[in-house]
Amino acid sequence: MAPIVTPLDWGVFLALFVFFTFLGFYGARWRRGDLSQLSEWALAGRRLGVALAWFLVGADVYTAYTFIAVPSGVFATGALYFYAVPYVATTFGVAAVTMPALWRWSRKRGYITAADFVQDRFNSKLLAAFVAITGIIAEFPYIALQIVGLQAVLTVMLLGIVKSIKLVSDLALTISFIVLAAFTYTSGLRGATLTAVLKDVIIFASIIAILVAAPLVIPGAFSTAFKEATLVASGGDPPLASGVSTLKAPFFAAYTTLWVGSTLALYLYPHSINGSLSAESDKRLTLSLGLLPIYGIGLALLALYGILIYGDAAAMKILSLFPASARGSLVIPTLAVTVLPPGLAGLALLGVFIGGLVPAAIMAMAQANLLVRNIIKPLRPSITPQGETRIAKWASVFFKFLALGFVFIVPATYAIWLQLLGGIIITQTLPAVFLGLVTDRFDKYSLMVGWAVGLGLGVYLFIAAHESPLYPILGHPIYIAVIALAINLLIVLVGTGIAMAVRRTAQAKVSVK
Amino acid sequence: MTVETVKGVATWRKVVAAVLFIIPWIVYLLLPTYNTVSPELGGVPFFYWYQTLWLFITAILYVIAVLLLYPSRG
Repeated sequence: MAPIVTPLDWGVFLALFVFFTFLGFYGARWRRGDLSQLSEWALAGRRLGVALAWFLVGADVYTAYTFIAVPSGVFATGALYFYAVPYVATTFGVAAVTMPALWRWSRKRGYITAADFVQDRFNSKLLAAFVAITGIIAEFPYIALQIVGLQAVLTVMLLGIVKSIKLVSDLALTISFIVLAAFTYTSGLRGATLTAVLKDVIIFASIIAILVAAPLVIPGAFSTAFKEATLVASGGDPPLASGVSTLKAPFFAAYTTLWVGSTLALYLYPHSINGSLSAESDKRLTLSLGLLPIYGIGLALLALYGILIYGDAAAMKILSLFPASARGSLVIPTLAVTVLPPGLAGLALLGVFIGGLVPAAIMAMAQANLLVRNIIKPLRPSITPQGETRIAKWASVFFKFLALGFVFIVPATYAIWLQLLGGIIITQTLPAVFLGLVTDRFDKYSLMVGWAVGLGLGVYLFIAAHESPLYPILGHPIYIAVIALAINLLIVLVGTGIAMAVRRTAQAKVSVK
Repeated sequence: MTVETVKGVATWRKVVAAVLFIIPWIVYLLLPTYNTVSPELGGVPFFYWYQTLWLFITAILYVIAVLLLYPSRG
């Protein structure tokens, strides 16, 4: 097998990676602030305008999930995975309603995390710690997913060049992570923001380049691709089981609950909240959130490339070198190499690569904030602001390498299903965080019980459904996050009702005496 | 603690903004209305391009809603 990535592409990739590293370190000097303060390091001093907030949040929530997992899902399963499109349309509506409110609270009271808010709102350090732990755990598989994306890029780049792709790719990943950890330690969110702009620009250029170049390389482009994919799906033991041109009826409930559940989950993830709190005003934040569905058009095209690749004989030939389970995550890197002219392919590969690195950095920082603010600080209240920041910096390094080690041990396919479990887990913090923005009348113990039952039930159903995010109810597969959240909310409402009644009776007794 | 809301914004603005935020939910929940192959666009079935088109429309609706909710402040 001859190498499929040209020396020119390698050159472009490496040169841009050097520039990416430079931007990451340069971030520390950009809009200089006192980086020993947590809000300066972790929230870039809360000074991002509409455009920068758009780039940062865009880079933050459009991740390897967008570039690797969604195209991979469409490639293997078919129309079902297009649920990501309604998901991103509605998720920014949820964000535009919730995040400015959280932003105003945070600005007023110096909150860094959602758990900071929960702690004050419900006057409970324990509930805040639960929210923090949920965030830290749910973030791990999400980081792991980013690393799976990085591996996919390296696999395609190293094909035909080295014999043991796994070894060289692991080594390259480790070096990339050392670079990443070093500049996020020094520059914090400033470094992530500058690299985010680079990432977004490259990604958009690549997506458009593939769209323009595809008809030149694939006669008939999408028409051919949909015909070929339908042919594959009808050929027995089909991949694309959920349908090619349209969604098959048994998947309707799954489609709808997957996008609704994912919509509710995304802005509970610590990295999304972290990105939102770094905006300089609530209006600018909301405006940038309102504009983010446009970024989703890139996601929709990438999802469609999961079908497009069926029309590309050269790409399908490369994929056939790999076991069926590994092919999906290689769709976009392979398509970039077979469709784009040399040079541009290197650009696209770098885009996907840093498209995983930038979010991984922000996710690890968000985890670090939660650890310091909501777990270490309540245990050691005497900690200084400088001490907080120092621990957060090291914790972000630690979390990155923990996730990396996890991916080296656990196979890639597991990392992707764990990400779906992450969604089920994080959704259980919705009553405390989102509903807490609307009312403080919920009983904190009911919130804790609801959280615990929702979490337990979610994990149980996930295992009962054989590690699938979908559990059948009356024969219709439903996204487990939605089921568990419904039970969670029911407990919170009933529990709060009981708590109120008990309090009223107690007060009545006192007044009688 | 009181709930922090956008202060000094007329009720009609909030109501219209709420409607604008809800429209995409309704559109996407009506799955059977867009789960068809034709009309195709450049070989892409209606199911795919219609949902993608709504991303663009959604952004417009959201931006109008945001401008309604934040009339003047920077």
